[in-house]
Amino acid sequence: MPASMPSWLNDTAAPAVQRLKKTLENPCSDAALEALAATAQALTRRHFGRTISLYAPLYLSNYCSGGCVYCGYAADREIPRHKLTLDQARVEMLALRTMGIEEILLLTGERTPRADYAYLRRHVDLAAGIFPSVAIETFPMSEEEYRGLVEAGCTSVTLYQETYDPARYEALHRWGDKADYLSRLEAPERALAAGIRHVGVGALLGLSEPVMEMIRLFNHVHRLRKKFWRAGVSVSFPRLRPQAGGYQAAYPVDERWLARLIFILRTLLPDTPLVLSTRETPAFRDGMAGVGISKMSVASRTTVGGYSDHEDKDPGQFDVSDARDVRAFCAMLREKGLEPVFKNWDMVYRH
Amino acid sequence: MDDTLILGGETLSSRLILGSGKFADTATMIAAVKASGTGLVTVALRRFNPDQPTDDLMGPLMAIPGLKLMPNTSGARDAKEAVKAAYIARELCGSRFIKVEIHPNPHHLLPDPIETYEACRILAADDFIVMPYMPADPVLAKRLEEVGVASVMPLGAAIGTGHGMATREMIEIIIRDSHVPVIVDAGLRAPSEAAAAIEMGCAAVLVNSAVAASDHPVGMAEAFKEAVAAGWKAWCSGLMPTSETAVATSPLTSFLGS
Repeated sequence: MPASMPSWLNDTAAPAVQRLKKTLENPCSDAALEALAATAQALTRRHFGRTISLYAPLYLSNYCSGGCVYCGYAADREIPRHKLTLDQARVEMLALRTMGIEEILLLTGERTPRADYAYLRRHVDLAAGIFPSVAIETFPMSEEEYRGLVEAGCTSVTLYQETYDPARYEALHRWGDKADYLSRLEAPERALAAGIRHVGVGALLGLSEPVMEMIRLFNHVHRLRKKFWRAGVSVSFPRLRPQAGGYQAAYPVDERWLARLIFILRTLLPDTPLVLSTRETPAFRDGMAGVGISKMSVASRTTVGGYSDHEDKDPGQFDVSDARDVRAFCAMLREKGLEPVFKNWDMVYRH
Repeated sequence: MDDTLILGGETLSSRLILGSGKFADTATMIAAVKASGTGLVTVALRRFNPDQPTDDLMGPLMAIPGLKLMPNTSGARDAKEAVKAAYIARELCGSRFIKVEIHPNPHHLLPDPIETYEACRILAADDFIVMPYMPADPVLAKRLEEVGVASVMPLGAAIGTGHGMATREMIEIIIRDSHVPVIVDAGLRAPSEAAAAIEMGCAAVLVNSAVAASDHPVGMAEAFKEAVAAGWKAWCSGLMPTSETAVATSPLTSFLGS
């Protein structure tokens, strides 16, 4: 039985949701898309200025207990498994620092004995001594565990619901903790209740019908912002990429669709950071920078480690489309009149 | 007509204060600062990055002769964090100025009056020149004055909105009752709004987005410089009083005798 969905997630009565629904359900001419992009750019510039905040991911481990049908790191994929030791992670982190990175996103798979909470906490503690901002994208935790990560120096938690559709969620998550829809949905709230300052949410586009996904994502953002008024909430737009396992998107979202989704979300959430990763192509990222999007990953490697040793031998979680290094990416931003911002946080604000 | 502004014993030759964030690049920011004629620029501690010069805003600003820096505590969610940031900023850039900026909500960035009061109370007692970014609340302005701030900086509108002097009525009360300079901070979009703020009695204005997010930041910085100068000249010259009825230049009833 699929999990029952909280009623707030399905609310379509609010004027903003009505507008979102109407805009996405109607056809969009080239001229209308251009006008939407212009509005998105103006709002992004007004709130974030001519800047793009940058971060880089570091995969600590690809051990995973999860059974996500669409993921290259799912437990039943026959891929080489690794995890970084603390010493190896330190080398990777220092390599990222050398590139100028100030915000790191630490990733693992679903909780396993090889990469469990204690393992993650040790690495957060290590990262907090090297980077002003330490974010994680791992497995859902208890409030107490999140509190422990706050103590270790974690500032931000990214956790995508993957799909907000409970039936699709059940079909796509075959076993393990991740099969629990509600536990995952409520994890950002547990993180914020524990003192995490910022959460990132999103839906993995391609898994379910995108209009309802956006409505529910919007409602999720609103609930978090109302309930945790001191918290920062950002929205990412991950899109299914080719990966080990060969899953094909059931609801493909092309670049034009993705751009529309981002533009309309920007008009409805003018002061919310919108994030685009290196899953997308250089041309798409270049076009979206500052046009709705205010934060981007850079120089990403989706293999475990990968920054100190550039020989990628293993498959990543998904294929990176934008392989430009920090220098090349920043040069593009500057060419477009956008300032790359690495440090936008200070350790002084950590308790 | 003395154009100088004295804040906490420091003399400034311009009534325009500039923010340093949101620019497309550091060179443009520096050019805008120079074009604005400002003597005081605010910079967020979180944007200090001496390890990486291309990402650092403090170093290039410190290199401008005669420019005073006012670090700000943007990013702080409460008084404790702001006070900690203020002490570190003073050590790093050697300025006694501190812009207390406490916005617990990172989206709308509106200031927390309670935490702002507490941080100002602590910092004013320790030789900082305390400049609080605050809601346009006349009572809070007087409470902050009592703890020793060097100015009060009520918002004209929310940061980055460009909605101008949305809080005009409250700011008029603050100006009327204040013993310390009143500086409108945030919300201004057009140089004419800056001129209007000075004309109504503000001692200075602080702008950032209006310059940084314009099409030509250096030109806009010059426009704000001229607008602020015009507003100050108008204030010093004394605006004519307003009246609800027409006043004829030649009396209409002189034929009646007295």
